[in-house]
Amino acid sequence: MDELVNKRINEVIKGNQDAFGEIVSLFQHRLYHVCYRMLGNPQEAEDIAQEAFVRAYVNIHTYDQKRKFSTWLYRIATNLCIDRIRKKKPDFYLDATVPGTDGLNMYSQISATGDLPEEEVERMETQERVQYEIGRLPDKYRTVIILRYLEELPLQEISDILELPLGTVKTRVHRGREALRKQMGNM
Amino acid sequence: MNTCQEPVIHLMHAYLDGDISRQDEQMLQAHLAECPHCREMMDELKMSALFLKSAAPVNAPEGFVSGVMARLPKEKSQAGFQR
Repeated sequence: MDELVNKRINEVIKGNQDAFGEIVSLFQHRLYHVCYRMLGNPQEAEDIAQEAFVRAYVNIHTYDQKRKFSTWLYRIATNLCIDRIRKKKPDFYLDATVPGTDGLNMYSQISATGDLPEEEVERMETQERVQYEIGRLPDKYRTVIILRYLEELPLQEISDILELPLGTVKTRVHRGREALRKQMGNM
Repeated sequence: MNTCQEPVIHLMHAYLDGDISRQDEQMLQAHLAECPHCREMMDELKMSALFLKSAAPVNAPEGFVSGVMARLPKEKSQAGFQR
């Protein structure tokens, strides 16, 4: 597959835009899936995954063909997702008390990031619950957990994608799993 | 809370990552056999990992590829002659 990809990339570099369509076809589902899990929203996932392919096209000459193309592509996409998540975050501390609300904090005001009542969580179907629990993980753990468990990538590849030392990736997988265990309690 | 947790937890994660020596694994198993707290924690960690693996793959929507192609900057004019 890598050989086919590199052949198409060389055609793209020569100016054949159609060859890029074949690359997009090959990787569209994997890339969309990562973005969907990171962002939890189909419209945003489509926008960001498409943007990632556009960036890959524009910067194709910087791709080192000795390395895996999917690693490079995942890196572009995860960076875009993290930027998007940061931009969405409100510019105040979520656990700060809202004045005049008798102890309510910002978490209780933002349903997307706040915890849902237990009965509601229990009613969720498995797929919905997976997305809910992933969405509650802190960003830096969420990324490694998605790559490790949903994309089933080896730790070394995750380290290449995120440009983090292998030890840091391991620590984040550990902490992510730990966070998940705590937030799920006894299922 | 038991005091044995910190180093044992490290071994549990190493085990879950398939990143553990045979010696350490034997140590972990021996500990789990006698410590119900750690055994429970190990089970919960395994459950969390299994739960994540139950996530169904999600495919890109129809028209994704043409959507990307429409967003690409315009093709260089000489490209057509090189094919």
